[in-house]
Amino acid sequence: MSIVLVGLNHKTAPVEVREQLAFTDEACTENLRQLIDGKVLSEGLIVSTCNRVEVIAATAAQQPLDCVSRISDFLGRTQRVPSDVYGKHLYTYTDEAAVRHMFRVASSLDSMVVGESQIMGQVRRAYALAVEAGTAGRVLHRLVHHAFRVAKRVRTETGIAASAVSISYTAVELGRKIFGSLEGCTVLLIGTGQMAELAAQHLANAGAARILVANRTHEAAKELAAQFGGVAVDYARLADHLADADIVLCSTGAREYIITPEMARRAREARRNRPAFFIDISVPRNVDPAVGELDNLFVFDIDDLEAVIASNIREREREAEHAELIVDSEVMQFQQALRNLDIGPTVSALRQKLLTVARAEYERQRPRLGELTPAQEQAIEALLLSTVNKISHPLIHRLRRSYDTGEAENMQAWRESFGLED
Amino acid sequence: MKIFLLAALAAYLVAAIHSVLAFLNKRLLLERVSLVALLFGFTMHTTALIVDWLQSGNYPLFYLRETLSFLAWTLVIAYGVAWCSYRTQALGSFTLPLVTLLTFIANVVGENASVAHGVITEGQAAWLFPIHTTLLLFAYASFFVVFAASVMYLLQERELKLKTFGAIFHRLPSLTTVDDIGSTAVAVGWILLTLGIFTGMLWSATRDGIFWHNDPKEIFAVLTWLLYLAMLHYRYIAGRRGRRAAWLGIAGWGLVLCTFLGARLMGGYHVFN
Repeated sequence: MSIVLVGLNHKTAPVEVREQLAFTDEACTENLRQLIDGKVLSEGLIVSTCNRVEVIAATAAQQPLDCVSRISDFLGRTQRVPSDVYGKHLYTYTDEAAVRHMFRVASSLDSMVVGESQIMGQVRRAYALAVEAGTAGRVLHRLVHHAFRVAKRVRTETGIAASAVSISYTAVELGRKIFGSLEGCTVLLIGTGQMAELAAQHLANAGAARILVANRTHEAAKELAAQFGGVAVDYARLADHLADADIVLCSTGAREYIITPEMARRAREARRNRPAFFIDISVPRNVDPAVGELDNLFVFDIDDLEAVIASNIREREREAEHAELIVDSEVMQFQQALRNLDIGPTVSALRQKLLTVARAEYERQRPRLGELTPAQEQAIEALLLSTVNKISHPLIHRLRRSYDTGEAENMQAWRESFGLED
Repeated sequence: MKIFLLAALAAYLVAAIHSVLAFLNKRLLLERVSLVALLFGFTMHTTALIVDWLQSGNYPLFYLRETLSFLAWTLVIAYGVAWCSYRTQALGSFTLPLVTLLTFIANVVGENASVAHGVITEGQAAWLFPIHTTLLLFAYASFFVVFAASVMYLLQERELKLKTFGAIFHRLPSLTTVDDIGSTAVAVGWILLTLGIFTGMLWSATRDGIFWHNDPKEIFAVLTWLLYLAMLHYRYIAGRRGRRAAWLGIAGWGLVLCTFLGARLMGGYHVFN
């Protein structure tokens, strides 16, 4: 049994190519049924997201590479794309490499933003579709479930998804570094831009208790405040409201500084020096950078936030190295499990055969033994079992070796000599 | 008794190493190992102190060995209280290495036979002496928590101001949390220090008829008391917090060290021989 993976992703193919090959959910199930004929390809699964299109298949064929061209042709045929458009972007992996790729994809190590969380759901969806189409069998069941396990390990054992990589989450994270929990915090929104709205939403979700909105046009402020159950405040009295706010989020189109060091200092006095966090996502900036030089006041402008994100991404990449080690060890485990899956039936058939022979012989001689206590019966059963185990052990060992070295003919010879044909 | 203290040392060492590792790479498992080891070490340590007390019949807080061991014990309690209220694992990375070091020294230091134990067990109000020393050691432990919280505050504040986040940034608790820990610990520590100084004066007054000997330890203790009083005023009454308060917390610890160690070197009434 071999596993073959053919596909392209955001690293190998531009979006113009990816979008042409992407599958809808319905197309997935329908085309999977066509692709999986039960002869050459026994199982199949399609992962189709905006960043990747991949077909993973299990095959009983001796030459897995034969399947590659079959899958690649299938992609072009079903999506009506000439092969010279996508052919050069395709990658193919077989067996161990295919398993590793699958694990890396599920663990989000192959994602555009390493550590993003959506891919898990996308793989789960792809699997559900394959199950629905009836093209997921014992190999893919195992592969997918193992991939989920790896993804979970990577997520909990490494810091791959620990730090924020978007502006709004970074704002929330920094807020937490200053205030601990954001619960009970008051947020003052100045301006009603879309970015501000998004960041405010995240802050509200993180538990911010009160949201004040100030805007030059009071109507717009009222509208946005209604969205978060907040309060629209008078823009002209901004300086007074500043004293209430733990977090100030600025995003206006103003050409000058709205918050001056003098205003900030007075607000800080009114707040008895409790820290305040200014997030300035407007360009040109609305918060005078000199505010950040005052004690207990922290100012982050858009460039600062971007720099934090860049460093978080580097941190994720460092953690990814640790994740690769987890993937490596899991790939080895999976390969072992897969081998057992293949060789398992032969092994158990062999032991069963020997045990049947032994039991039959025992039954034949049983009348001559006369009365036996239950303890004696048990001893004889144990004797039969251990004899069978001792005889079969070296045979099974040889069998596994033949399997590992790919001597399929040997395997067949073994089966025949013990009359194990199904 | 020695065996319990050794067991405590081994457990503290494990706890300290795991705590520092957890601080560096934030694996949950390491934190758990650290906590379990610490709990075991603390149990052993408590047993060692009780056995010591029962065997010698003297409160185990007089000789240098005993004092260091007791200080380590109070530090573990202070960390335990802080951990229960704030779940700040990072504090352990500061406290536990010190606890381990103190326990280690307590293990290797021998008793100084020339020191006369009788000085403090004789006379009226001898019972006040152990209360005096116990209160002060708990005060020192609180002040160490203030010191550690201040260091964490300054590290964190610096990173937030410079906007360059090093490896430890993600490991530190929030500014508000360390500020809370610091202000609570300074209040607790100051009250203990006040009571400790007061019981000491009372003891001296009943024994010698005077409550002030003008010896270095007493002078430093009063300076320490004044500094933490200033810090309390600064935080709670003037409402000033943050960086400057944190520097006061660090300066205070310097004075505590002078009181604790310096006085030993300079001699005076507090050196018993």
